[in-house]
Amino acid sequence: MSYIGIDEPGKRMLLMGNEAIARGALEAGVHFCSGYPGNPASEILTTLSDVAKEFDSYVEWSVNEIVALEAAGAAAISGLRALTAMKNLGADVCADFLMTANLSGTKGGFVLVTGDDPSAHSTTSELDTRNYARFAGIPLLEPATTQEAKDMTNWAFDLSEELEVICMIRTVTRLSHSRGVVTLGPIKPEKRSANFGFQDMWTSGSSRITCMLHSILHEKLKKAQAKFEESKFNWYVGKDDADFIIVTSGTGWLYSLEAVKLLELEEDVGILKLGTTWPLPEKLIASHLRHAKEVLFVEETDPFLEQNVKVLAADLAIEGFGPIRFYGKKSNSIRGEFGAGTGELDVDIVIQALTEIKELTYVPTEKEYISKAQELLSSIVPSRTMSFCAGCPHRASLWAIKKALKWDGRDGIVTGDIGCYSLAMLPTGFSVARTLQCMGAGIGTANGFGNLRRFGLNKPVVALTGDSTFYHACIPALINARWNGANLLLVVLDNNTTAMTGHQPHPGSGVNALGQSSSKVLIENICKGIGVEVQVCDPFNLDEAVQNLYEMLQTDGTKVMIFRHACPLAFPQEKKVRVYVDQDKCIGEECGCAKFCTRVFGCPGNIWDYEEGKAKIDETICNGCGFCAELCPEEAIIIEEAA
Amino acid sequence: MYRIEIKGPRELQNEVLDKELCSACGACTNLCPYIDMVAGRAVMIEPCNLSEGKCYDFCPRTYIDVPTLDNDLFGTYRSDLRIGSNIMVIKARARDDEIKSAAQYGGVVSALVTYALESGEIEAAVLAGASIDQINPKPTVVRNRSDVLQCAGSKYIVCPTITEVLEAAKKTTGKIGLVGTPCQVTSVRKMQASKFETAADKIGLVIGLFCTWALLPQAQDYIKDLVGSVNLVKFDVPPPPANMFIIETETKKVEVSLDEMRRFIMPACNVCFDMTSEFADISVGTVEGAADWNTVIVRTGFGKELFRQAREAGIIETAPLEKERLDHLYEASLNRKKKVLKEMESKKISCLIIREEDRSKLLS
Amino acid sequence: MMEEPLNLVITGVGGQGNVVASHIFASAASKDGFNVSVGETYGASQRGGAVMSHVRLSEKTQYGPLIPRGQAHIMLGFEPIECLRAVTGFGNRKTRVIVNPRPIYPIDVLSGVSKYPPIEDVLEAIKKLVSSVHVVEATELAKEAGNPIMQNIVLVGCLAGTEFTPVKIETLKEVIEETFAEKHPRANLKAFELGVEQIRRIKPI
Repeated sequence: MSYIGIDEPGKRMLLMGNEAIARGALEAGVHFCSGYPGNPASEILTTLSDVAKEFDSYVEWSVNEIVALEAAGAAAISGLRALTAMKNLGADVCADFLMTANLSGTKGGFVLVTGDDPSAHSTTSELDTRNYARFAGIPLLEPATTQEAKDMTNWAFDLSEELEVICMIRTVTRLSHSRGVVTLGPIKPEKRSANFGFQDMWTSGSSRITCMLHSILHEKLKKAQAKFEESKFNWYVGKDDADFIIVTSGTGWLYSLEAVKLLELEEDVGILKLGTTWPLPEKLIASHLRHAKEVLFVEETDPFLEQNVKVLAADLAIEGFGPIRFYGKKSNSIRGEFGAGTGELDVDIVIQALTEIKELTYVPTEKEYISKAQELLSSIVPSRTMSFCAGCPHRASLWAIKKALKWDGRDGIVTGDIGCYSLAMLPTGFSVARTLQCMGAGIGTANGFGNLRRFGLNKPVVALTGDSTFYHACIPALINARWNGANLLLVVLDNNTTAMTGHQPHPGSGVNALGQSSSKVLIENICKGIGVEVQVCDPFNLDEAVQNLYEMLQTDGTKVMIFRHACPLAFPQEKKVRVYVDQDKCIGEECGCAKFCTRVFGCPGNIWDYEEGKAKIDETICNGCGFCAELCPEEAIIIEEAA
Repeated sequence: MYRIEIKGPRELQNEVLDKELCSACGACTNLCPYIDMVAGRAVMIEPCNLSEGKCYDFCPRTYIDVPTLDNDLFGTYRSDLRIGSNIMVIKARARDDEIKSAAQYGGVVSALVTYALESGEIEAAVLAGASIDQINPKPTVVRNRSDVLQCAGSKYIVCPTITEVLEAAKKTTGKIGLVGTPCQVTSVRKMQASKFETAADKIGLVIGLFCTWALLPQAQDYIKDLVGSVNLVKFDVPPPPANMFIIETETKKVEVSLDEMRRFIMPACNVCFDMTSEFADISVGTVEGAADWNTVIVRTGFGKELFRQAREAGIIETAPLEKERLDHLYEASLNRKKKVLKEMESKKISCLIIREEDRSKLLS
Repeated sequence: MMEEPLNLVITGVGGQGNVVASHIFASAASKDGFNVSVGETYGASQRGGAVMSHVRLSEKTQYGPLIPRGQAHIMLGFEPIECLRAVTGFGNRKTRVIVNPRPIYPIDVLSGVSKYPPIEDVLEAIKKLVSSVHVVEATELAKEAGNPIMQNIVLVGCLAGTEFTPVKIETLKEVIEETFAEKHPRANLKAFELGVEQIRRIKPI
């Protein structure tokens, strides 16, 4: 991928949204960057860490989002420019600090970038973080294109410094992970020294001080609003006094533009595109509400603009505005597969809204095509459920857990958590896990389940977590379990990386975001420090793993089992082997096997030859871990050293 | 003719495992990745998708087709309803001092297995061996006299011997033998009669034990609590009316009322029809009041030949069994059958297939 | 005359190199002076799930990253049922398809829950819906070039070898060399060239 730090203002480059955000921060001369891996925001920090040495900046993967924001806040109050990036749920984690950092202010530019995930492609919630900006009373920017992603990030630092308040940029999956052409700007690296001392005070106070700071925050917002009225990130296209206008932000802009074009409504519909969406540039919006009779809001997920503009419209009613008919989520005009206010936007959704409101017909594809396609889809196309990669140790760990719980025989509960092993709820994970919410909720909820014996719930409780998740969110819950006597077994699936988000390092990796060697904080040492029984085992030693788990389940208390085996994608095997199935030994469908490797174990490298009626190995997918060979009841899977 | 329906793992789960009828014989385990033996019961990790399986076919609690098994082994249905088909019932004991001192009673089992190995009749045998803690026996493959002596002594806690039998059979070129309880012997005979091909045709010698119950492995915690962490030497249950369970450690003997131990008896034993291993080649039990002798029932032609050779070689000595003791054996076995049949009737357990006239006779 | 915008869908299974292929194609298009947008599905879908890249070229302006339903002009299928799946959503009677017929079995199929249809049926189904279908054994060609994993580069070569898009072969080669400069540039170039040759050799089914 292209080098992000090129000093060639005016050069056009194809950049991913996250890369553009990183580039914008570089152009602003960012000094301190922090975050926690989280889709769709992970690449922002990865990109910045790739050039950190070159630009003498500091980039860190923090243990979780609140520490990340706190650390960045400290850098900013010391006069540096700081950026923190995270996924939407990360905003929940750092909300505690955000709700005080807004009041305690900043000196250097302090920018928070949140990546939302409409349709929850890889998240357990669709939450719309724009609400945090309103909640915290801080300026909010929503880029609509990769170019804006860069330009807004750059400007956000200036804005933050001028107003002395943290500023927020909200991106979504479709922007962060899409690529578009970006014209680069100049990079202005500014050497600054950090300063903070006895003469400084950085607090949101309490009592009267807090109220006073709160009032100061309101003033800052007013200043921001004045700037937003003139911002180049807001514009209007289309008929000057159109009766029908679309009010949109973010990805909604390009979708609306294309929908209007496809429906040939360029003459009738105006589009007000907003890039500064909190506080609202009220005068600008009012100037268009004045001529509009119908307004359609096109925005990702929550009716954020919709509700806030309606409040403005209510205020303006006394001046004779309206009546205006508003369309959007409330009117069910903009809706996804499951209804309004859920699922991501696309051109077709906007087309659907426009054709319904304006009573038009639009046929993207012939009816015949659609019905033929539907028929084929349902009759011959199988679905493709997610599965663990070939060689993934989680498959082994979850099989061990399944066996141990069956051996135990008391219908034990397994709570899940966030990571690749979230797939423990699916058939690829033998559907072992029954719960899944947020980071740390596995052991968190297990604290509850493990203390309900007095109410009749007397079963083993197993909580899953990953290594990165452990550091992020599990430690307080583990302490709670010991302190409050919860009977639970925490299984840490330690594959030595933060896998799901792209193999970033964590405190146990021995390396930091900058690739430098660092101290290892060992999970087992933390457990010993807390005072709970802890064991370490390789899940690929299946018999040992099952026996140890089973024995741990037979007695009460809070315990930890660390299943440790490196992720094969992050740490590919050096020695190449060839794995294949001896067709004579394979008994396939017969009693004694019943297609164990393909039907139950489910590694994508184990495939079934319907013609021969035997198992085979897909050698382009197989990664050579050899675990299936150990499980094969006929020892028919052979591992050979490759030539 | 009786119609046997061979079913699969789901039915094994429903008909046997869920109903607590599993006697932990071990026959359904080590056949596939789906069934394990854990702490005195077979555990199905998940049922495979087959509708017919070895697990169901070999299990001694899915169906016991007594007429077919009798025909296969003895050529005809049993004439003796009390203790099953037999050629003779006799008293016997080992003559070798080493075997006698290692044995609990007459040492006949150890002597016969050792003889079968040393004479080349079998290459290996699967026995219930003592485990390290002397409490939980585990299936042990033996190949020589000293291996056999390690396994000598009565076991009261269940040992799933059959888990190792097919594996052992696969590995030998010649025949193997085994010593099992009645349910275990039944499962092996079902294996040999099964339509599923296995290495069971390499099983040569089957010695069955007299048995009225086995204890769940949980009994070991109770025993350990009683005696503390010392080395155990053996357990013993003297004949009625003693009503005792005796635990011998290296330093002392602890006597526990048998009633204390009854709660650890496997539920499966309460519906066991077979007290004397009716399908073995040779069945061996105690002699009441004569701790250095065994009661031996010789059943098959092969058993008869081996027994004769062992006696001629001076491995064992025999004596006639006193009529009183024989009558007592018949009575005990018959009473058990009556009791069990009534129990099966009330619990609607229908796995036992015998002639209708015999069933009515026993139930009246 | 190029369509405005030209919409290309690249579809396959997570791990097949969708993203790399779309990036190479888009970078080359950008170098050739076009406005390009690329929409991807990242993250969890990589774990053996279906993935799609939408690549949109325009001489005039930047478009949004998602192609509207039924508006794909070209479809590059790394896997046959994913190709069919994408065609049902985004294809139309004029769409031109290039597909690798080598199946990757979903675990739904391997576990016995669903059946994988015969490949001929899948290819026939695609043919019924679109304008033309070129079937290329891209994995075999990739093996010839040195590694089956390069089937994605072979298919980029196939696309380049047709007249379907205005992106120049030379530009694509430059981008491939840059992208793989640190590891196996020659093998990837070979894979690309084999794709170009093959598509010119065969006819649509």
